[in-house]
Amino acid sequence: MTDLRSGTSGAVLAASLAARPEVGGEGYWQIAWRRFKKHRVAIVGASVIVLFIATAVFAPFLTRYEFDQIDLYRRKAAPSFSHPLGTDELGHDVFTRLLYAGRISLTVGFTAAFTAAVLGTLVGGVSGFYGRWLDNVLMRVTDVMFSIPALPVLIVLARYMGGSVLGIVLVLSVFAWMGTARLVRGDMLRLRTQDFADAARALGASDSRILFRHLVPNALAPVLVAGTLTVGGAILSEAGLSFLGIGIQPPTPSWGNMLQNAQDFIWTTPWLAVWPGAMIFLTVLSINFLGDGLRDALDPRLKV
Amino acid sequence: MTSYLTRRLLQMVPLVIGISIIIFLILAAAPGDPVDLLLFGNPNITAEDVVRLKHLYGLDQPLHIRYVKWVWAALQGDLGYSRTYKVPVLSLIWDRVGNSLWLQIPAFLIALAVAVPVGITSALRQYSPVDYAATFFTFFGLSIPAFWFGIMMIYVFAVVHPWTALPALAWLKFPAGGFSSPGVAAGLATYVDRAHYVVLPALVLSLLFMASYTRYTRSSMLEVIRQDYIRTARAKGISELGVIQRHALRNALIPLVTIVALSIPALFSGAPLTETVFGWPGIGRLLVDAVLAGDFAVAQGVILFLAGLVIVFNLLADISYAVLDPRIRYD
Repeated sequence: MTDLRSGTSGAVLAASLAARPEVGGEGYWQIAWRRFKKHRVAIVGASVIVLFIATAVFAPFLTRYEFDQIDLYRRKAAPSFSHPLGTDELGHDVFTRLLYAGRISLTVGFTAAFTAAVLGTLVGGVSGFYGRWLDNVLMRVTDVMFSIPALPVLIVLARYMGGSVLGIVLVLSVFAWMGTARLVRGDMLRLRTQDFADAARALGASDSRILFRHLVPNALAPVLVAGTLTVGGAILSEAGLSFLGIGIQPPTPSWGNMLQNAQDFIWTTPWLAVWPGAMIFLTVLSINFLGDGLRDALDPRLKV
Repeated sequence: MTSYLTRRLLQMVPLVIGISIIIFLILAAAPGDPVDLLLFGNPNITAEDVVRLKHLYGLDQPLHIRYVKWVWAALQGDLGYSRTYKVPVLSLIWDRVGNSLWLQIPAFLIALAVAVPVGITSALRQYSPVDYAATFFTFFGLSIPAFWFGIMMIYVFAVVHPWTALPALAWLKFPAGGFSSPGVAAGLATYVDRAHYVVLPALVLSLLFMASYTRYTRSSMLEVIRQDYIRTARAKGISELGVIQRHALRNALIPLVTIVALSIPALFSGAPLTETVFGWPGIGRLLVDAVLAGDFAVAQGVILFLAGLVIVFNLLADISYAVLDPRIRYD
């Protein structure tokens, strides 16, 4: 296995090289960036994500309506000059809600993935570093969590924890950390026996310092890749739960709950169903392309 | 083989216990036990009644006692009683499993029928336009929200279907949802009628699996055709088709069998959204309806059933792998 990280002068790289100019050659992150730039689809994906984040952040400047502003005289209006994507069954401007829904859906996706990545890194790091019975216990817990049918349990949990953004984020991240934990654990098993770990120990570093300061930074590349792909999964899950009416609750818009009633009106106002779904699809597609590019650039081992 | 199987079964015991504890806790910790829900909208119930009922159902006992009782009852096939359907949960689930299979089996077959040839072609012509198209298609399948894809399919094939103006394509429209038409005669007509309703949901449900099976077939095939024994086969002068059919394909499909076996429970677990969009009376829809109605005994039963599928197919995947690949030792 030709691993970039062990191929280039040991595994100390990731933490220190980003800041320090490399003598006689490219550093790990420079190589990664060069490889990433060649992945054109990933660049497109990244641009779309940046664009969607920007439209969500600057939503108030892009529309003259409020997201909860209803106009009962103009319900289910067809797209027009004043309402470019039409209005929904309560007279909300669809374009406005689409922008504001982006805030919720993207926040949920990124926060849930981040929380899951942190949780997975902690569990995997401790598990691989300490080994023995602790490893055994933590990995059995991971197996159990992996075997629980996620979507059905999410449906149940969202019923009484959903509604709030925080509740959905918590529920989603609790069922998304296991892959990262296994990846990090594997890396820890390999890294903890390497010379630089022994060197740190010989210098009197504490366990937590060795683990989080020396070992974990070297395992971050796969975490980043897995984390990116989790964002897409989390956005899809949130959308599904909100579509069922047990995720984000109106009047707060999310791309999923905008679709909640759209199916009932498919015969009369089909455009209501198109845009929120298209936004979910484009976002998740872009994130998956971005994740694929990151994987190629950072961690060739993970290639499926 | 027997000892391998025994060991494998023993290893599963902690897994099963862990899963059952988590499922129990998720639903026992839910705010509002059955008695609280009963109170809802019933002003005549007194505080004494509540205490009496909670005692009757054992809800006043500590969690670990309730867990043991729940497991004991579940082992005897008693999954509780549905509050909304007024029937035992187990019979409710059995009724719906059949309906679910009507959707799951076609979806599964469609996914395999597309994924295997596409994945193989994609691997054999790596970096060709075909390969890029197939790769893009897998990203498409993995990124599209199934329920939205379902709604779009309903719009195109059940609402507008502009091509049906052409007599030759008049058959190419499908019901917007549901399971069967009323008043269809028994026998063959039932199946023909049912097939009409199956097409759209099965297509929607299969997409995700199609995408991931394609991915796995492709990478498995790529792995195999780089092996020395393939070079040897070519060197012996076997035709390219023979190399692929007899040497590459058979080996490439071994890991696929495992992946497929592991994914079958997900066909059920992933179905709630598709079944809801198409009004399909399967087990996923049952779960969604039960959760929305606060009928947690049914929800718990369905999840237990789905978790059971995961465990059984995990085991089957392991066994099939050991049986198919003689390099795997199981003693």
